[in-house]
Amino acid sequence: MTESRHQAAVVEFDHVTKHYDVPTGKAAGKPTPGAVNDLSLVVPAGKICCLVGPSGCGKTTSLKMVNRLIEPTSGRILIDGTDAGARELTDLRRSIGYVIQQVGLFPHQTIGENVVTVPRLLGWPKARQRERSEELLGLVGLDPAKYRDRFPAQLSGGERQRVGVARALAADPPIMLMDEPFGAVDPIVRDRLQNEFLRLQETLAKTILFVTHDIDEAIKMGNLVAVFQTGGVLAQFGPPLEILAAPASEFVARFVGQDRGLKRLSLLRVSDVVLLRPTIVRPGEPAAQAKARAKDDPQGYVLLVDQADRPLGWIAHRDIPDFGELVEAMANPVSPTVNRRTTLKDALSMMLDADVQTGIVVDRNGAVQGLLTVEAVAQKMREGEHAPTYDQAAADGTEDAAATPGEADLAAAAAGTPPPAS
Amino acid sequence: MDISVDWNWVFNHFGAMWTRFLQHLQLVVIAVVAGFVIALILAVWSYRRPTVYGPITAVTGLLYTIPSLAAFALLRPITGLTLLTALIPLTTYTLLILVRSNVAGFQSVPAEVLEAAEGMGYTRRQRLLRVELPLAVPLIMSGIRLATVTTIGLATVASILGETFGGFGFFITEGLNQFFLTEVYVGAILSIIFAFAADALLVRIERLITPWARARAETA
Repeated sequence: MTESRHQAAVVEFDHVTKHYDVPTGKAAGKPTPGAVNDLSLVVPAGKICCLVGPSGCGKTTSLKMVNRLIEPTSGRILIDGTDAGARELTDLRRSIGYVIQQVGLFPHQTIGENVVTVPRLLGWPKARQRERSEELLGLVGLDPAKYRDRFPAQLSGGERQRVGVARALAADPPIMLMDEPFGAVDPIVRDRLQNEFLRLQETLAKTILFVTHDIDEAIKMGNLVAVFQTGGVLAQFGPPLEILAAPASEFVARFVGQDRGLKRLSLLRVSDVVLLRPTIVRPGEPAAQAKARAKDDPQGYVLLVDQADRPLGWIAHRDIPDFGELVEAMANPVSPTVNRRTTLKDALSMMLDADVQTGIVVDRNGAVQGLLTVEAVAQKMREGEHAPTYDQAAADGTEDAAATPGEADLAAAAAGTPPPAS
Repeated sequence: MDISVDWNWVFNHFGAMWTRFLQHLQLVVIAVVAGFVIALILAVWSYRRPTVYGPITAVTGLLYTIPSLAAFALLRPITGLTLLTALIPLTTYTLLILVRSNVAGFQSVPAEVLEAAEGMGYTRRQRLLRVELPLAVPLIMSGIRLATVTTIGLATVASILGETFGGFGFFITEGLNQFFLTEVYVGAILSIIFAFAADALLVRIERLITPWARARAETA
């Protein structure tokens, strides 16, 4: 992107409340859908904050109060410390990217025109608009030559949503508001759009408020997750790992679901685990020497690698001959290899599929970095659970009792994870 | 009465037909354009304040029921035998159709498009002129087509106001007065051709200004 970067902005909700008139009759007394009750939270610059919760919990209302499509009843929303309520309305909105589920492209304008809606409102010169339009279409993976002159009706749902994202980015706003942006496309397209968007965000580093009703999407997309519950109450706010590890209430625990241990694994990567060091041997090494070295190795196996440190196979201690040299034929085929970017969930599933307890971690060139064991993965899963889950706290009648290892094992088992290898 | 066509008369009156066509065109164009402007204002008003829509349709509906002959007779003492006397009822009659089609046009704009426009910082005026109005065009144009064809028919009645009004209607009135059917045929047929041609022209214009609507139809 050739545009000069705007600094991402801090968005702060300061005791924000939105009341709707209490309906009379049957619904009287119940919380009004969309109401927000004394919301205070800070989204740091450059982070994605997912607002998640059941329908009517006030997450969309909260989002729309940022660009003042809805005005709060009380409280303030501060953007980099400035009260959004004090800013000129159209000026405020043009400085905030806005993406909605139904996209809302202008049917009478071409894709190229749609994308530069805000630059046009801001009065950019025509040539610069055109240039920006091409750049943005490229950015979201749509060939400008092919799409520029089409109308929205000629695009698929996924393509339209890409255009919607491009349009929101057009004037390089420091903040983006996204209201279920990928909610209307099928799961496969949604997954692709999510991944592409996360990749985009790595370079864009916008401050993003992202509304979704899908906890899995919130965990995947958010640096921070704000769980709302009915009545517009913020039930918990924190990084996704924290929400999964220590739900603040029964509501959050239920909303996050029974499989939150597994969900945590999808957020952790191999690089988050301390790897074991295998005993490395090479073809041609005197067998007696290898046997001596293997004596201290707890694994029961040594790892045979080639000149470039690429794994060739395992040799069990008892299979190492007393004399002669090590040769490749002695080795059993290697267990699955993973790299440091592999999620623990994927790594675990590869190990379970291969029916082994140990995976070999390799770098980009295939050279051995260390070993990942099923036990280490299970250990990592337990680590997050040092605070008791709500259910345990309720059962114990204690708020802050540290979970004993036994309890953690139970929790892991309850979360549907296989117990560590014995 | 002789019901056969006097072709001699037809061939000798091409000049008169052209003059009458221009008269007819003038009546229709002014009535539809004036009606459209008034209807657009009323439509925007009732789109923004839905409570006025009911009364507006009631009044335009009532005006539509006034027989044209009665309207000419009532207006004559006030505005005399002028073009205005012919135009006032013709314009009024377009309102019922045009207000409804304009309002329907605005209502056809998808809610998410309006939300996106508002969220991106369109002012209300920009939104009306650059989003709502262009998107309302297909329904607005269907109203204009209907109003135009209706007005072409109604305008023939204005010929009772005198020979300088009424366009093709003059042939019909004169033919009836003189028991000369050829002239009635000519007036009627030319009116019909005019109506068809005007409608076809408006369809072309609509297609020209709404290329996006065709893109939608092709993919739908």
